[in-house]
Amino acid sequence: MANNIFYDIYIIMKKDLTEFMRIRARLVTMILLPIILIVLFGYMFPSTGSITHISIAVVNQDQSQAGLNIVSQFISSAQSSGLFNVISMGSLSSAQNQLVSGNVYAIIIFHQGLGQQLRSSGTATVQVIIDQANPSLDAAIQGELTQIFSSLRLSATLASASSSQVTPIYQGLIPQTSNTIEFLAPGLIAMTTILAGLSGLAMTFSREKELGTLDGLLMTPISRLSIILGKGFAQVVRGLASGVLVFILAMILFGVHIYGSIWLMALVLTLGILAFTGMGIIATSFVSDQESAQLIMMMIQFPMIFLSGALYPVIQLPSWLRIISDILPLTYVISAFRSVMLLNAPFSAISGDVYILLIFTLVVFAIALPLFQRTVTK
Amino acid sequence: MSIVTENLTKTFNGLVAVNGVSLKVTKGTIFGLLGPNGAGKSTFLRMICTVLRPTSGHGSIEGFDIVNDTNEVRKTIGVVQEKLLLYPTLTAIENLEFFGRLYGIRGKPLREKAEALIEEVKLTSVKDRPVGTYSTGMRQRINLVRALIHDPKVIILDEPTNGLDPQSVRWVRDYVKRLKERNLTVLVTTHDMHEAEELMDELAIMDRGGVLAVGRTADLKRSQDVATIEDLFLKLTGRELRDEVSSRLKRRGW
Repeated sequence: MANNIFYDIYIIMKKDLTEFMRIRARLVTMILLPIILIVLFGYMFPSTGSITHISIAVVNQDQSQAGLNIVSQFISSAQSSGLFNVISMGSLSSAQNQLVSGNVYAIIIFHQGLGQQLRSSGTATVQVIIDQANPSLDAAIQGELTQIFSSLRLSATLASASSSQVTPIYQGLIPQTSNTIEFLAPGLIAMTTILAGLSGLAMTFSREKELGTLDGLLMTPISRLSIILGKGFAQVVRGLASGVLVFILAMILFGVHIYGSIWLMALVLTLGILAFTGMGIIATSFVSDQESAQLIMMMIQFPMIFLSGALYPVIQLPSWLRIISDILPLTYVISAFRSVMLLNAPFSAISGDVYILLIFTLVVFAIALPLFQRTVTK
Repeated sequence: MSIVTENLTKTFNGLVAVNGVSLKVTKGTIFGLLGPNGAGKSTFLRMICTVLRPTSGHGSIEGFDIVNDTNEVRKTIGVVQEKLLLYPTLTAIENLEFFGRLYGIRGKPLREKAEALIEEVKLTSVKDRPVGTYSTGMRQRINLVRALIHDPKVIILDEPTNGLDPQSVRWVRDYVKRLKERNLTVLVTTHDMHEAEELMDELAIMDRGGVLAVGRTADLKRSQDVATIEDLFLKLTGRELRDEVSSRLKRRGW
């Protein structure tokens, strides 16, 4: 007797679910992934109260008593807002270095003669240079600064009877015309390049395991190291090629530019891909089929996308997630890549990120190589 | 002797997969390794192929130690596993050249060798097609000659006719005989008793990780007073169904 269609659907569904549940890695992924996604998306689109202690630099070029009083009142108001952590800097260049390095998100410049101008005309402007990496963060910074400046009690500070007003003038990090995509592009290029490399490696290893060809390679007189590095460098080439493709598209469609050295950018990406290659080897050492490998890679990739600063500044994250962000290699890749591509940072400016990546790559390979050896010869 | 093992043993977390196997395979013979599922044949083969490291015991192939001279052993053997060692998206010629390069063969000699081997298995007309588009029999033919690209002295075949149609089975068996005529040593495992009867000069019957009997095929049948290898096999290993060891190893992820 023929089964009815609903029964057929049921038995197929039951078989698929049974298969799925038998593989622990898939089961763990199914539970953890939604949890990770909701937490990360929650912080990607933050509520007003979730952004606090954004570091901003103040450069005071007006050393008159009036100027000092205005700056002092501004710092006091900014600190008490809870949104800002104000750092006084001695010079504009050192403040710009901090902005380029990502240590501060805005610079407020009180120009020489500010106090004098306020006294004479009742109005003056301050220059605010902001990091335009994320529209929501920029909006929060600009909104709060505008409010702080409008609420300053300047007539008391200047001992003047007439009302005075300081207006902030905002400009971007790059003097040239820039837009949000220009700031997002480096993160997106680095992220897609490296994550393509990571998933590519996991797939190639698990595929060779499934096909049985990995055994074939192991029976030839080449070293295990050659196999790993050969596969790793194949991912580097693949990753760089996809990076170039993404960049060309960003350039044609959105007018993105490169302001720094292509060789430094390639160095950062290569190191990043190698670090992730090692991570891919470690992750796939624990699984034998392609589907489980894919799921594990997704578990690694998703948090990195949101925690690495590729799409929005890590300042939006709560402190416990920022700690995780600090230990992710992609965070350093994106930070260095963005500095070189957009701000023409020299090697000395990104050397910290590069050394961290180098150490991370060496450590990961020191773990991955014996693990691979053990997995294939156990 | 071409292959020699002494008390070769492999344990996985206390589970004994191969237990003190001692074998001697004469040069230029076809030696059969028979046993039920879970007998330890594949683990034994993976040890002598240098993929697995023995827990204890010794082994050598053509005088090269399977632990200390792994590279020499790998150059000496050609292996055909139950799973095809071929990349389906690569063509036949690309597969052969890829493996040839891993053995240090380069340039014109490699191309000539690969083309000669493809001609030998009558696949020249499709040598530039991805092997993934081949029939099972065609793939196995390429897989067999892939193992010969570096002129090995010893060929190890793990169930080479599994899943093939009768014509392909016939071709593989005849090809194995031709390998022997070239004075190569062939170590073959199979579950097909007719194949064992037709091909094997000597054989060993394994069960539960150990060797139950070893010797010339005719001598073994005579000593056990049986007419066929199948009778010999069933007499020594019994008729009960047991796959316990291999199943436990798979459950543990080995």
